[in-house]
Amino acid sequence: MILNPDDTKPIYVQIAEWIETEILNGHFQSDEKVYSQYQLAEMFTINPATAAKGLNLLADEQILYKKRGLGMFVATNAKEAIVHKRRSGTLKQLIQELVLEAERLSIKESELLEMIKAARKKEGSQ
Amino acid sequence: MNVIECNGLTKAYFRKNVLNGLTFTIEENKITGLIGRNGVGKTTLVKILAGLIKETSGEVRVFEQHPFNNLYTSANTILVDDQMFFPPALQLHELLEVAQSFYPNWDMELAQRLLQYFSFDPSHYHQTLSKGRTSTFNMIIGLASRCSLTILDEPTTGMDEAVRKDFYRALMKDYLAHPRTILISSHHLNEIEDILEDVLLIKNGKTLLHESISDLKEWAIALQGASTVVQKWLVERNCIFQRQVGKDTLYAVVRDDFTKENKEEALRGGVEFIPVKASDLCVYLTNDTKGGIDDVFER
Repeated sequence: MILNPDDTKPIYVQIAEWIETEILNGHFQSDEKVYSQYQLAEMFTINPATAAKGLNLLADEQILYKKRGLGMFVATNAKEAIVHKRRSGTLKQLIQELVLEAERLSIKESELLEMIKAARKKEGSQ
Repeated sequence: MNVIECNGLTKAYFRKNVLNGLTFTIEENKITGLIGRNGVGKTTLVKILAGLIKETSGEVRVFEQHPFNNLYTSANTILVDDQMFFPPALQLHELLEVAQSFYPNWDMELAQRLLQYFSFDPSHYHQTLSKGRTSTFNMIIGLASRCSLTILDEPTTGMDEAVRKDFYRALMKDYLAHPRTILISSHHLNEIEDILEDVLLIKNGKTLLHESISDLKEWAIALQGASTVVQKWLVERNCIFQRQVGKDTLYAVVRDDFTKENKEEALRGGVEFIPVKASDLCVYLTNDTKGGIDDVFER
């Protein structure tokens, strides 16, 4: 992944989301050690304090846990926690934006549902 | 430990104050970006910190000592800029040897590897180098000296895109291996923001803001929507920047102190919340007028 400096999300959030995706993709298993703040700083040419902030964000959400002096490890239910968080957070927000845009274009609810169904069908056939 | 402490620092040239009661502290091993518009005194400040010029009044401490004419400061501080002076009679490789005798932490192997990587001819002379090559060579001296306080004043002047990227990467790699206090002044915050921990924003010779870079990104927010609706949300808020977009749309930047309920209510009213880039925020904050250049053309 290359960090997107034009993204309006802070870098530490981008780092946290990238680690989450790595966990979702199965690159890190439960109780496996993730990158240290210094490794992340080296990989992305970012300040180690920024990298640490990203890691701490995930520790606060109990997706990672700290072992003193050893680093950050993937929590047992990390995958479920990430899926749950993205469903209730990211997806919900996207849907809100979708509904708002549909209202602006005066698209009826049934029409919107049809569009979603069509998109899902297309995705499934690929 | 605080590496730099300034308290009410003032510097006057011809009775005009360039620095006007500047107060801030910088902790050990942090990378801080020194940001400000042209002529606000960034270069004056770093020259005082490096002990090259003397302050007019106020207090300045570097490594808990007064930096002016101080041997301890000279041995442990390096100021890299495009005015670095090197003896014209010495070839580049001789300059490295001289630098080695100056700086106790000097890493000759790193200096030579960088010289080779950037394809310098060691037998060339410093004053024959082009603008970008001068900056690159000065940067090599700055990195290899490994001074506990490394000050970089507009270090990438004239460097091409590839060299800039290499430079920031080299700086970060060497910093991770050998942590030290680094102060970088630049006009291009977006170019350096990733490697910074803190930002020190200067306006009119005073500290305007000293925040961590991630807080700075969330410090302000932009509201965009129908003018009447946005205006309603600006009441009792200090507007940092505003611009009329199109016929009846207002874009306004304010301090982000909205509660979640506030935001949801505003969203329903048709206001869009847009995060503000750190570099844009710094421009807005250092503008003297709220409308920027557009105000000049308003008649």
